[in-house]
Amino acid sequence: MSKETPILAVENLVMHYTTRKGDVSAIDGVTFSLEKGHSLGLVGESGCGKTSIAFSLMRLLPDNAKIKQGSIFIDGEDIITMSYDQLLKFRWRKIAMVFQAAMNALNPVYTVGDQIVEALDLHDMIKNKAEAEERVAELFELVGLDPALMHRYPHEFSGGMRQRAVIAMALSCEPDIIIADEPTTALDVIVQDRILREMKKIQQKLGMSMIYISHDIAVIAEVSDHIGVMYAGRMAELASGVDIFERPLHPYTYALMRAFPSIKGEKHDLTTLPGEPPDLLYPPTGCRFHPRCPFATDICKEKQPPFENVGGEHYVACWHPMEVHNDHH
Amino acid sequence: MTTTNSPLLKVSGLKKYFPVGGGFLRKPHNFIHAVDDLNFEIPSGGSMGLVGESGCGKTTTGKLLVRLYEPTDGHILIQDEQGNLEDIAYRKGASMKAFRRRVQMIFQDPYESLNPRRTIYDTVAEPLAVQGIGNISEREERVATLLERVGLTPATSFMFRFPHELSGGQRQRIAIARALVVNPSFIVADEPTSMLDVSIRTGVMNLMMELAAEMNVSYLYITHDLAVARYMCDTIGVMYLGKIVEQAPTEELLHQPQHPYTRALISAVPIPDPRIKRQVIDIKGGISAPIDPPPHCRFYARCPLADETCRDRPHPPLQDKGNGHLVACYKV
Repeated sequence: MSKETPILAVENLVMHYTTRKGDVSAIDGVTFSLEKGHSLGLVGESGCGKTSIAFSLMRLLPDNAKIKQGSIFIDGEDIITMSYDQLLKFRWRKIAMVFQAAMNALNPVYTVGDQIVEALDLHDMIKNKAEAEERVAELFELVGLDPALMHRYPHEFSGGMRQRAVIAMALSCEPDIIIADEPTTALDVIVQDRILREMKKIQQKLGMSMIYISHDIAVIAEVSDHIGVMYAGRMAELASGVDIFERPLHPYTYALMRAFPSIKGEKHDLTTLPGEPPDLLYPPTGCRFHPRCPFATDICKEKQPPFENVGGEHYVACWHPMEVHNDHH
Repeated sequence: MTTTNSPLLKVSGLKKYFPVGGGFLRKPHNFIHAVDDLNFEIPSGGSMGLVGESGCGKTTTGKLLVRLYEPTDGHILIQDEQGNLEDIAYRKGASMKAFRRRVQMIFQDPYESLNPRRTIYDTVAEPLAVQGIGNISEREERVATLLERVGLTPATSFMFRFPHELSGGQRQRIAIARALVVNPSFIVADEPTSMLDVSIRTGVMNLMMELAAEMNVSYLYITHDLAVARYMCDTIGVMYLGKIVEQAPTEELLHQPQHPYTRALISAVPIPDPRIKRQVIDIKGGISAPIDPPPHCRFYARCPLADETCRDRPHPPLQDKGNGHLVACYKV
C-alpha cells in the first residue's frame, strides 16, 4: 500500500437517528481521513456526534440509526456497503474500539483473561489453550498489567486496571486502527496520565493509527497529531494540533479553548459562550453554530459554510474565519 | 461585610471514621479513616479548594461541614449572626435549623439533586418555607429575583416548570439559586460543574464567583480538577487518604508545590496546549482505601522520598513554610 492512501477515509458522512419525534441529524456531512501511524483527536461537547462517528466506523450503530449518505473507507474497502459476514471478519481485525466506561465493557462472570481469549478465538487468532495464555500474557504486559492477573475477575481490578484490560482486548486482534472513546474520563488524573502515556507508547511501537474521542481538549492535545473540532454533528475545524492552538479559525474552536482553565501560564478569565448546543431534532439553519456565534451575519443563518482547506492541512467550515484570527491577536 | 479578623469557618481535629464489616449485634472491627484530623480555616469572603483523587475524603469533608454527617471527633466552628464562633459539630434538632440558614450545599449531579416532581419555584422556595422567612408573595419575589440573577430569564417562564424541562446547566443554576435563597454565609460546592459541558461549565463557574463576591459568601469548592480549583479559589488544600498533605495560596501551590504527592498530581494534569511538554513525575502504585491505616505517613508506600524516618514516625503534621504554605512531609 502506498504511503499516500490513508488507512481511513470518511467522506461526507450523514447519519440520522429515527425517533418518535422525528429524525435527529446526528452526523451531517463529516469528512476526514487518517494516515497510517497517525493519531486524530475528535473533540466536542455531548451531542456533537463524536461517539456517533465512532459507532459508525465500527458499524455498531443501534437499529434506529440510518447512514443516509457518504462512505467510510478502511484500508481501501467501503464498510458501509459491506455484508454482515464480511464485517464480522473486518471488525476488530482492521478496526477496534476502547469503549467509554470500561467497567461496563467487561463481563463480570468471566475472568479478564478468558474474555480476551474469546475475542482471539472468534477471529481464529489462536490454535490452542497454551497459545492463548501466552498471547494474553503478552497483551497484559503490553498494557502494563501483571500477567498473573489474567485469571482474576473484573471486580478484582481497579478502574485503571480495567481500562488497561479493555485496551488489551482492543489490541488482541492487532487492528490497524483503534478508536478510544473517552478512554480515561472516569479515571483519576494520575492514572489517566499513565494510561495515556501507555497508549501513546503502544501506538508508536506497533505503528497503529488512533482515533481519540474526548470532551477534554487538554487530553486530546496531549495524544493527537491532528485535532478535529466537532459541533452539532458537523466538523467545524480540522488541523494539526499546533495549528488548532496557534491559529484557531473557527469561532467555536476559539471559544472552546478560552473556556478551558489551565494550571500553566498566566491565569486568565474564562469566556462563556451564550446559549446551549442545539437540539438536533431541529438543527439551526445555515451554520449550526450561528445562534451562539459572536461573528454571525445573515449568510451564516442562510447558508451552510463549506468545509474548506485554508492551506496546508488546515480545514474550516466558517463564513468569517479570519475574524477569529484578528480578534486572537 | 464583617471586619473581624476571626475566620468565618475554623475546622480543628476533624475526623470521620466509617465502620466496615460488623453486622447486626456484632461490632465492626475495622474503620475507614475517611477524614482524619483536618485543620483549616476559611476567612470571611474567602474561598478554598479541596482537591484530590477519588476516595481521598474530600466529599466526606464537605458533608461534615454542612453536617450531613456527624463527625467522629473534632470541631467545626462557624460564625453566627453576631460574628461569634460557635461549634456546630455535634448540633442536633432545632438548633440545627439556624445553622442550616447560614450553611448550604451545591451537589455534583444536577439530574439527581432536584426533585423531579416539584416545580422550580417549589424547589428554590423550600428553604424559605422551612426557615419561615417571608410570606408567600415575598417568597415569590425573592425566588423571581434570584432566578433572574442566575440567568434564568424571564423568571416567570421558569418558575412553574419541572426539572426535566431544563438542561444540565440550567439545573445547576437552579441549585445555586436554592443554595443562595436564604442568604447563607458559607457554601460547600461539591464538583458542581464536573457533569456539565465545557461551554456551559464556564458560565456556571463565573456565575458562582460573581454571586459569592456580591453576597459575601465564602465557599469550599471540592473538585478533582486542579485547573478548576485554580480558577475558583484563593487557597487550595490537597487531600490524600483523609489528610490534607499540602495547603497554600493557589498560585503558590501550583508554582511551588513541595509535597511529593502534590508534585506528582500537578505533573499529571494534561495541558490544553500541544506546544507545552510536561515533565512527568510518576509515583508507584495506586490509591487504596484507608482502612485502619498504619500510623506512619499516609503517602509512605508510594512516596519516592520515603525512608526510615517516614516509616518510624507518625504521619507528619502540617508545617508552615512561610506565606501560609503548609506542608505535611518530613522530607521537604
